[in-house]
Amino acid sequence: MVLVTAARDYINRMLQDISGMKVLILDSQTVSAVSVVYSQSELLQKEVFLVELVDSIYKSKESMSHLKAVYFLRPSSENIQHLRRQLANPRFGEYHLFFSNMLKDTQIHILADSDEQEVVQQVQEFYADFVAVEPYHFTLNIPSNHLYMLPAVVDPSSLQHFCDRVVDGIAAVFLALKRRPVIRYQRTSDIAKRIAQETAKLMYQQESGLFDFRRTEISPLLLILDRRDDPVTPLLNQWTYQAMVHELIGIQDNKVDLRSIGDFPKDQQEVVLSSEQDTFFKANMYENFGDIGMNIKRMVDEFQQVAKSNQSIQTIEDMARFVENYPEYKKMHGNVSKHVTLVTEMSKMVEERKLMLVSETEQELACNGGQGAAFEAVTNLLNNENVSDIDRLRLVMLYALRYEKDSPVQLMQLFNKLASRSAKYKPGLVQFLLKQAGVDKRTGDLYGNRDFMNIARNMARGLKGVENVYTQHQPLLFQTMESIIKGRLRDVDYPFLGNHFQQGRFLKDLEEAQRTAKSSSNII
Amino acid sequence: MHFAVKFFIWGNETDANVSCCSRGAVTVGLPPAWVDVSEEIATNVQRARTKMAELARAHAKALMPSFGDGKEDQHAIESLTQEITNILKRSEKRLQQLSAAGPSEDSNVRKNVQRSLATDLQNLSMELRKKQSTYLKRLRQQKEGQDGVDLEMNLNGGRSRMEDDDLDDMVFNEHQMAKLKKSEAFTVEREREIQQVVESVNELAQIMKDLSVLVIDQGTIVDRIDYNIQNVATTVDEGLKQLQK
Repeated sequence: MVLVTAARDYINRMLQDISGMKVLILDSQTVSAVSVVYSQSELLQKEVFLVELVDSIYKSKESMSHLKAVYFLRPSSENIQHLRRQLANPRFGEYHLFFSNMLKDTQIHILADSDEQEVVQQVQEFYADFVAVEPYHFTLNIPSNHLYMLPAVVDPSSLQHFCDRVVDGIAAVFLALKRRPVIRYQRTSDIAKRIAQETAKLMYQQESGLFDFRRTEISPLLLILDRRDDPVTPLLNQWTYQAMVHELIGIQDNKVDLRSIGDFPKDQQEVVLSSEQDTFFKANMYENFGDIGMNIKRMVDEFQQVAKSNQSIQTIEDMARFVENYPEYKKMHGNVSKHVTLVTEMSKMVEERKLMLVSETEQELACNGGQGAAFEAVTNLLNNENVSDIDRLRLVMLYALRYEKDSPVQLMQLFNKLASRSAKYKPGLVQFLLKQAGVDKRTGDLYGNRDFMNIARNMARGLKGVENVYTQHQPLLFQTMESIIKGRLRDVDYPFLGNHFQQGRFLKDLEEAQRTAKSSSNII
Repeated sequence: MHFAVKFFIWGNETDANVSCCSRGAVTVGLPPAWVDVSEEIATNVQRARTKMAELARAHAKALMPSFGDGKEDQHAIESLTQEITNILKRSEKRLQQLSAAGPSEDSNVRKNVQRSLATDLQNLSMELRKKQSTYLKRLRQQKEGQDGVDLEMNLNGGRSRMEDDDLDDMVFNEHQMAKLKKSEAFTVEREREIQQVVESVNELAQIMKDLSVLVIDQGTIVDRIDYNIQNVATTVDEGLKQLQK
């Protein structure tokens, strides 16, 4: 059940039976899906000697009939139009068409009609319609993601596109994994409900044949959650390697663009952070900043040993060894430079923006502390010249989310102070946040104070003492997952989608247990 | 592995004569002239691989105990090593010819073919290096065992410790004389071997240096497909702008 492997296997299948020189044609979305799981050098091994985007193919009029074309596109109407034009004037010898999701019959007819010169050799669906950044983590890179926060009436057609894209992506993931899930969603979120319903309709009605996989003892669970149920986690500064890089610099499709934070030599301007390709990163991506520093130092020491031995070339064996090991040495050098650069730059930012100070208060706001102390701490940081605008905004937001119902006067004071200190602050943003994700809108027990079990758990943690004050906070998702594993995810908060969609023994047990629990008193 | 896929076959529905699976003529056109060069290099790579296997066998044979002086085996190894090195050198020079002037789609294809062949050549060079060093190591182990003489291979030429001693003042008996003569001849032979290895390593180092510019560093940004597309787009744009001027 690994997403990266599934995507790679699809690409291998596309290329395997086509001999000779090839050109791979992608669209702006499939290029991301492919680039995170397949490398340029692997393409070269498969004799793919050119890669192009489907919408820029027209720029050149050269006939390249000695190349066979392999298209891998999303089945969008735009792409079908591109294909129509390109099939009408074929530049390549053969055309092999692969689509990342289900084609509509009308689209197939259009393509068939356009193929007057009969250059198309095959048309297949390979469901890699997602960006597998890690084995168990994918994204859809949806632009205009913010649409999900707006009521449907604002822009219904855009919202429909958004939902379609999400449903397509989810469908592709399950087709790639060859499973059909039980579907649950967060009750209080309209968009979650809508996506859940449309996914269920697709998997159990419209394309039920395609999704009718071999049933397993335990069905997988598809749980649709709304980000707004935990607005705290994304507002916190992060201290583990991958999260920190993403927070401070930004990771896109496993690439980090350092040009936004400074000037670097050409080979360090953009770097790749992929757990599949970089063993150091894989071992350190969830480690704390302090530990990373030590591990990098160790890596640098090891490298310097190697470098030193390369410099003392006295015997012929030394020289021979150097020649043999040069590619490895070069790779090691590149990797060490990359991590040293990243950690150095992030250290600079931590220092300039006083992030440790800020983070301490953030963690208090997210985990424990009292309202009075919180108000004081936030006020002080707002007054601190070194704290950046974005951190000021986040602090006020975190305060507002925690104490929105306590002491409205002090809350107002913070809003005003924020507006006066931050020139770029868009007035009303914090209030808008509360409207979207305030306590009345949330389902989950975000601060662990709704549910007596959670209160108890928090007390226990507080007593135990926290190992690292900067990483105290545990995302709500962690608790949700625990509930799922223990079979305690409340039906009233996260309903199932329709009885007839349920499969498997696990669920029947769950239903039975719930029925029993309801009849006893006060058991959650 | 089976995947959930749908496979389409389309026929020409409007044309009643054609049956359902009309695939049409496969018109893969004639490739441009430079493809001959790339095919030549690919053939050379194949030849080098075959010779490499021969070399491995020659190494193994030379290491086995024999009655002769082993000169024949030595000769075979030398000539094979030289042949392979020459193939690699020639191929690397030909590889430079694939570089294309002016940005265009065709030049991008050429660049990629070049990179692919460079990787093959580099892998072969490294393999040759490894085979050589393994052979020499084993050889030295053997010969050291035989005579108990420590022969250190130095870049400045090999000298056995015995030659450095002042021999004139020493008096030898017959047995010692015989042994000394054998060692001298042996040392000359070793020097020649060493010289040949030095040359070979030098040549290989040069080849690898030239190739390293072309070979893609795996795991880095230049090995990303999206990065390469970006560069293609810009170079083709620039090319068009140039043409339009």
